[in-house]
Amino acid sequence: MKEAVTARRVPTPERPPEQRLRDFDEVNLGYTFELAVEEAKRCLQCPVEEAPCAKACPVHIKIPLFIEKLRRYSDARTAVKEALRVIWRDNLLPAITGRVCPQELLCEAACAKGRVGEPINIGKLERFVADYAREHGIDDELLEEQLPRVEAKRGRVAVIGAGPSSLTCASELAKIGYKVTIFEALHKPGGVLLFGVPEFRLPKKVLEKEVERLKRLGVEFKLNCIVGKTITLDEIRREYDAVFIATGAGTPKLLNIPGILLNDVYSANEFLTRVNLMKAHKFPEYDTPVRVGRKVIVIGAGNTAMDAARTARRLGAEVIIAYRRGREDVTARAEEVRHALEEGVRFMFFVTPIEILGDERGNVRAVKFMKMKPLEERNRESKRKIMPTGETVVVEADTVIIAIGLVPNKLIWENVPELEVTSEGTLKVDGDLMTSIPGVFAGGDIVRGEATVIEGMGDGRKAAKAIHQYIQRSKHQQAILKV
Amino acid sequence: MRWNSTGYRITGKADLNAEDFFVEVEAPEVAERWRPGSFVILLLHEKGERIPLSVQKVRDGRLSLLVKRLGKSSWQLYREYGVGSEVAHLAGPLGKPIELKEYGNVVVVSDLVCGHAENYAISSALREINGNYVISIQSFKDRSEVYPEEFLTKDVCHEFWLTTLNGSAGIKGHFLDVVAKLLEERDIDIIFGGGELASLWRLAELTKPYGIPTIVTVRQIMVDGTGMCGSCRVLVDGKIKFACVDGPMFDAHKVSFEDALRRLTRFEREEKLALERYLRGGAP
Ligand SMILES: Cc1cc2nc3c(=O)[nH]c(=O)nc-3n(C[C@H](O)[C@H](O)[C@H](O)COP(=O)(O)OP(=O)(O)OC[C@H]3O[C@@H](n4cnc5c(N)ncnc54)[C@H](O)[C@@H]3O)c2cc1C
Ligand SMILES: Cc1cc2nc3c(=O)[nH]c(=O)nc-3n(C[C@H](O)[C@H](O)[C@H](O)COP(=O)(O)OP(=O)(O)OC[C@H]3O[C@@H](n4cnc5c(N)ncnc54)[C@H](O)[C@@H]3O)c2cc1C
Ligand code: SF4
Ligand code: SF4
Ligand code: FES
Repeated sequence: MKEAVTARRVPTPERPPEQRLRDFDEVNLGYTFELAVEEAKRCLQCPVEEAPCAKACPVHIKIPLFIEKLRRYSDARTAVKEALRVIWRDNLLPAITGRVCPQELLCEAACAKGRVGEPINIGKLERFVADYAREHGIDDELLEEQLPRVEAKRGRVAVIGAGPSSLTCASELAKIGYKVTIFEALHKPGGVLLFGVPEFRLPKKVLEKEVERLKRLGVEFKLNCIVGKTITLDEIRREYDAVFIATGAGTPKLLNIPGILLNDVYSANEFLTRVNLMKAHKFPEYDTPVRVGRKVIVIGAGNTAMDAARTARRLGAEVIIAYRRGREDVTARAEEVRHALEEGVRFMFFVTPIEILGDERGNVRAVKFMKMKPLEERNRESKRKIMPTGETVVVEADTVIIAIGLVPNKLIWENVPELEVTSEGTLKVDGDLMTSIPGVFAGGDIVRGEATVIEGMGDGRKAAKAIHQYIQRSKHQQAILKV
Repeated sequence: MRWNSTGYRITGKADLNAEDFFVEVEAPEVAERWRPGSFVILLLHEKGERIPLSVQKVRDGRLSLLVKRLGKSSWQLYREYGVGSEVAHLAGPLGKPIELKEYGNVVVVSDLVCGHAENYAISSALREINGNYVISIQSFKDRSEVYPEEFLTKDVCHEFWLTTLNGSAGIKGHFLDVVAKLLEERDIDIIFGGGELASLWRLAELTKPYGIPTIVTVRQIMVDGTGMCGSCRVLVDGKIKFACVDGPMFDAHKVSFEDALRRLTRFEREEKLALERYLRGGAP
């Protein structure tokens, strides 16, 4: 009986879909302390060194250890503070990863409890710790304790881009006494977390708090500064001891089909940026417009597609997600797919667009799809290969959003020929994440192509260590040369 | 170095005609890097829109911009941002500048505010290069529209033509008429154009039979201006290009103007609404 009870997760409260569709507030409300403790008690407490969950987490958070803190202390403040202390050793942005990591493929996929029932809800526990800490000032307290007593002046580091990878790298370096400057092209920091991931999934106040924390650590932000345009990498290198580049995979791929230039065809990036960064859903209070018709077709089935679809639903449209593969190949986080379905987003599988049809005024009228069929053979990502059936179908729509992926933004390397680039347009790095230019490191999507937030953060952390070693080594060498 | 902490100060402002005005903004690090052909993005305030603007010239770390009162943002800049006040954000230079080299006989044409700014920038830069002979043509509808002298390209080229559609100032007609004449009578090596897309389209058709390289600014609606959104996409030679990073100047003989023109109307209804609301005195 007990086993049957603990086989199931303690659910986190969620707002009902009808209510969600009326605003951009967060969908999942997260655990209270009581619920978090109840969920924590389900954990089998595998030995830290062997815990499968921690091994599967890209930054190896000592998950059983932080869960243990939640179980040990009955006082919420103490429990959360101790748990946060554990998490921070490996991950400085748990409020973000707790919300956006594809847990079902990472920590939770490996969880031992998953073999006898539902895995521990690690993501939501992580988020709980971070949220509770933020709401009760516990994170500030802990930061204060951890700040170096003497202000060391170890050197100056430039960080390019202000996405999750950069924020992590900057934070790690600032904490050990480096003076860090972040250069960001847009007028606000955050990268995809700001302009891509919607408010209902990651409230911007969470992001703002992280940025505030960096400022308290003495990190300086230079916004509206496009490296390669406003300032060159060479100029930066002359002023800083090392550089970390994490400019992301910013450029949207567009389909090479007739009709792609019709007026109501957006890339998901444009659509989401208008809403998330420029607040177009509050037009005309905000000046940037966005136009969404009654029937929207979103092409693709990753996180970007879910975000675009659910945003369009909130703007009042009927939404169909059209994907060339099947249900099992959808790449978005499981929770987002579930939320999208609950919110009335419909899915069409095994269709690939071959033409977007317009009316005489150049507005979208419909999308013509080729029906696809799956084969037994699998591709490198072990997805079933697909082939056209020859049969087409036309689906009416007045807005089309293309969410088929991103390629690296070339702005950064276009003006720096010494930076070695792969055929995919990503930066080449060595095992220490150093690029072809000594002292210039890189990580996140500009190195990996489209990856995840936590992998980018992992790179930021790894690069921070490598940068620290690099700077100390070169200072040491300079010292020897002087003698 | 100062990037954004305090905003960007407006250091000059003047009317050019009943619709266009000049505004000078202090942004030393952008001014230092700016080259003719590249542009900047301005964001007035936290609720504002990111608007792309060409640069007429730079001086002492200041950018000289020529702006048409068109929609909400340009009206608001005109009405509420006086000398001494600050705009929240300014980013640039964006896009690819033109190659500054010896071309030979260069014609630079414009018939709209952004084009006039670029005409000034390109003409003055190319005139400085030995071997170039720069003919600059500016078109206005009517005498009352013609800019004050110091904003015309008269002193920054070798040969200056002013046209008005009704002939009330300069010669009668449009730059297209002058270009048609020049193509017949003179040896032209390259043409740069900016302004109304429809005119640039006709310019492309005019020069194509002569095989004269024609480089024009393809204005498109932008959001980020850094290649991140694709709002500004243009079909060039059958391929999708982003005006903000691959342009904004493209080979006019390869641009699909039909798409480019239509895409400028994407938000017409919304823009009209915003302007009416603003002019009525709706909350800013
Ligand atoms: C809509 C969407 C939803 C996603 N959802 C998830 C999710 O749920 N979970 C998950 O794990 N991953 C998700 N991802 C992927 C994830 O967001 C990325 O892997 C991650 O943001 C990469 O981080 P980064 O720091 O490398 O770069 P980015 O977050 O892309 O940040 C790069 C920053 O660099 C700036 N920049 C670019 N060029 C320059 C320059 N020349 N000079 C100065 N600054 C520059 C950009 O403006 C940007 O702010 C999503 C992606 C998208 C687009
Ligand atoms: C590379 C480039 C250089 C430009 N240079 C100048 C310049 O030097 N001076 C100047 O006055 N204007 C210039 N523009 C156009 C300017 O950006 C728009 O006029 C401005 O965004 C209008 O904002 P608004 O709120 O006043 O009007 P809105 O209400 O936003 O728009 C009114 C009309 O302007 C057009 N428009 C809107 N946004 C843009 C845009 N981003 N790009 C092009 N057209 C647009 C549309 O046709 C629209 O119907 C340039 C545009 C580009 C792309
Ligand atoms: S960072 Fe991501 S993968 Fe690691 S424990 Fe947290 S939710 Fe799981
Ligand atoms: S694998 Fe699961 S049960 Fe084991 S420690 Fe990790 S969270 Fe707990
Ligand atoms: S304006 Fe966004 S890509 Fe050009």
